[in-house]
Amino acid sequence: MTGRSAALECRGLHLAYDGQPVVTGVALDVLPGESIVLLGPSGSGKTTILSAIAGFIDPIGGEILLGGRTVATAERSVPPEQRRIGVVFQHYALWPHLTAVQTVAYPMHRQGMARSQARAEALVLLERLGLADLADRKPAQLSGGEQQRVGLARAIAREPDLFLFDEPTAHLDTPLRAALQEELAERRARTGIAAVTATHDVAEALAAADRVVLLRDGRVIQVGTPIEVYEQPADLWAARLTGPASALDATLVGDVAVGVEGSGARGEPGDRVLVRPDWASLRGNLTGTVVGVWFRGPHTDYRLATSYGEVEIREAGPPGASVGATIGWQLHRAWLIPAPGS
Amino acid sequence: MAERAGGPAVGAWILVAGALLLLVVLPLVTLVANALADGAGPLATLASDTAIEAWRHSVLVAAAVTVLAVVGGVVGALVTERTDVRGRTLLRLGMVLPLLVPDFVAGFSWLQAYAPGGLTDDLAGVSLPWLAGPIGVVAVLAAGAVPLVYLVVASGLATRAEPELEQAARASGGGRLVAWRTVTIPLAAPSIAAAAALVMVTSMNAFAIPTLLGTPDGFVTMTTRIYRDLAFAADSEAFSRVLALSVLLAGSTLVVMGLADWLLPRATATRTGAPSSSAAGFRRGSWLPAAPLWLYLAVTTAVPLVAVLLTAVTRGIGLPPVPANWTLDHFGEALSSQFATAIGNTLLLAVLAATGALLLGALVAGLGRRHGGRTLGTAVSASFAVPGTVLAVAVLLAYGGLLRDTLWLVLIAYLAKFWALAHRPIGGAVDLMPSEPMHAARASGAGVTTATRTIMIPMLWSTLAAAWLLVFLFALHEVTMSVLLYGPGSQTMAVLILNLQQLGDPTVTAALAVMLTLLTLLAALPLLARRRLLRRLKWR
Repeated sequence: MTGRSAALECRGLHLAYDGQPVVTGVALDVLPGESIVLLGPSGSGKTTILSAIAGFIDPIGGEILLGGRTVATAERSVPPEQRRIGVVFQHYALWPHLTAVQTVAYPMHRQGMARSQARAEALVLLERLGLADLADRKPAQLSGGEQQRVGLARAIAREPDLFLFDEPTAHLDTPLRAALQEELAERRARTGIAAVTATHDVAEALAAADRVVLLRDGRVIQVGTPIEVYEQPADLWAARLTGPASALDATLVGDVAVGVEGSGARGEPGDRVLVRPDWASLRGNLTGTVVGVWFRGPHTDYRLATSYGEVEIREAGPPGASVGATIGWQLHRAWLIPAPGS
Repeated sequence: MAERAGGPAVGAWILVAGALLLLVVLPLVTLVANALADGAGPLATLASDTAIEAWRHSVLVAAAVTVLAVVGGVVGALVTERTDVRGRTLLRLGMVLPLLVPDFVAGFSWLQAYAPGGLTDDLAGVSLPWLAGPIGVVAVLAAGAVPLVYLVVASGLATRAEPELEQAARASGGGRLVAWRTVTIPLAAPSIAAAAALVMVTSMNAFAIPTLLGTPDGFVTMTTRIYRDLAFAADSEAFSRVLALSVLLAGSTLVVMGLADWLLPRATATRTGAPSSSAAGFRRGSWLPAAPLWLYLAVTTAVPLVAVLLTAVTRGIGLPPVPANWTLDHFGEALSSQFATAIGNTLLLAVLAATGALLLGALVAGLGRRHGGRTLGTAVSASFAVPGTVLAVAVLLAYGGLLRDTLWLVLIAYLAKFWALAHRPIGGAVDLMPSEPMHAARASGAGVTTATRTIMIPMLWSTLAAAWLLVFLFALHEVTMSVLLYGPGSQTMAVLILNLQQLGDPTVTAALAVMLTLLTLLAALPLLARRRLLRRLKWR
């Protein structure tokens, strides 16, 4: 860290629900302005970590610091209303009895602003987010996407030092989801405020993060930039979590792959060679039998049975081979995952 | 669990525990202590023919009423929730209306309508000579219990509105009735069983209808035997019998509740179909399935109430109920001094009981599941199972010396009985409320108290209003306890109607009954107008 203290720091965080440990020994630091994404399947502890940072639950071990100030240990903790955190909830958590403008004015009023001024500022903020027309509507009269935008406005109105996004788009339709993901990322970037996002959506994680934290069973498996976790996953599980991947037999591929530029894959028996679909292509001096072809619009996915195992290949354009055909293929690049325990 | 504590819980806990102790525990302990101190007296009376007969009558009545009411209520619920019956909204409302008629008014109105010399006898020469007797008791109790079963089962069906499941049965070759029998009813089994237990307990503890219809015929149940022994007998044997029968009645209720709790399927069923608000069976709307329901409402509620209304406005007994003989004199008489006090007492008690029970109920719900809050909640719920007659005897023994003949005595019994009534919907709503809105408030800078005031209470207000109205209505209807606890000056309308009826003055009784029923309807109007409120009441 350089002079300024981290926006968030978790040291050896242990969290539990009903006495059941959910998160074990998680360390995390978020620099000012940085966007961190917690990526993991459901039950991996993402939401629990966010709850602890917000102050909804207390750690049973470890420490949480916000802006260099300790806010939670196993012994004592600062209540959520004193943490200056903007939370955007998975199910939006809009209050059914308040209109959009009342909802956005709520955190302003809580910080001591007079009711009328809070309302005026809330209207300005809604205007800025393009929600001015919805100001007097209650949640029941808002669509899912609108509800989530109001939820975002409420979090911004808090003037937080840190945003927490809990699966913010998980309950939206796919086209709307992509649009809102873009919008959230852009608005957050413009505020320059650090953020921690929990998601199980790889595309969202890779697009929105400065750094990605891979979580499994309440433990950190890997931390890195989106490109690092995609290209150099720590293990097979991490590889599958971060995108489509084929795992080939290392010794055999190693033999053949020596001459393949950029693969660098030369392993021991039991090692696996990870191949992303775009790291291989059809036509080449290796051979395989096509066992599956899926036309996806802009590109086509092929699955080939080869002597090294099954490999998935993605090529632009419509299908150029059909099931049963024996064709050539080649590797452009690969990532070696050592056998467990070696 | 590292979830945050809800604030100053210790003070609330002490308050709740103290109230429970004073309102319920102390009276019941006093009752049992009295029964034990009485030596062999209570035991001897338990073995007596009088006590055994009363017990047998109560159990038989309860069993018969349960069977009839479950059949009627389930059919009603299937018609309104699983067919495309025409006039569904009206029908749903209609099926709840009989609940608003106080049971002593129901018993009285059946007599006015169907007894020899009643309305139908006058008009068509048709009467039910068996009305005053065990069959009449069962019939009127069952007619009143049908809406109770209906409410529980209909809401059970509504929460399992997954038309796909029934459509799958139809697509597999079953007819509508087969789909009901093999899919709908098995899925609704938990709510049907819960409704049966509820009806069994309430009809075993029923007092007004057995008094009105059974006592004249010499048909005595546990509750009416206790009333007679306490109110009209002065010997020590009668007092021993009161103690013994009170304990026996409470024990029998406990056995039914325990059995129900043990037999009721606890596991929550998995949802496999897409939920939907409507579950259609017919293609076109039809009036036909509604016919038995409208008939039931006409026979059990409309005709008897018309009979009471006619009695109330007809100048004298024996005169034909035609406009020429109509007068409002009986209403004037009903509003005269003695009766005015009773009306005032009733309203005052109902408001105090509703407000007190609401505060106590919210307090228990606010304790949540921590700090023994759950245990206290269960204790409060359990206190509702104590039969009114038993509770009244217990309160009389514990506080009668100090508060005899005052409204306070009745109020203590009301709070003890109706606390659970307010607590259950509030507790249920608090349990169901997601944690996110409160979390969002805390994250927006609100402390616990502010978040409760600005978010929790506004979100729950319709439940709070519904709970208040529910207790208010029950207090308006209440007669089982007040008839044992009232004194000169602390009579309620219900007690007055019961006493007048027994003295044989049907005209003023009818006028009072009409007024009380109208008052009840008026109070229930907000509940009926906003179905949302009604749905907040968890009939479990």
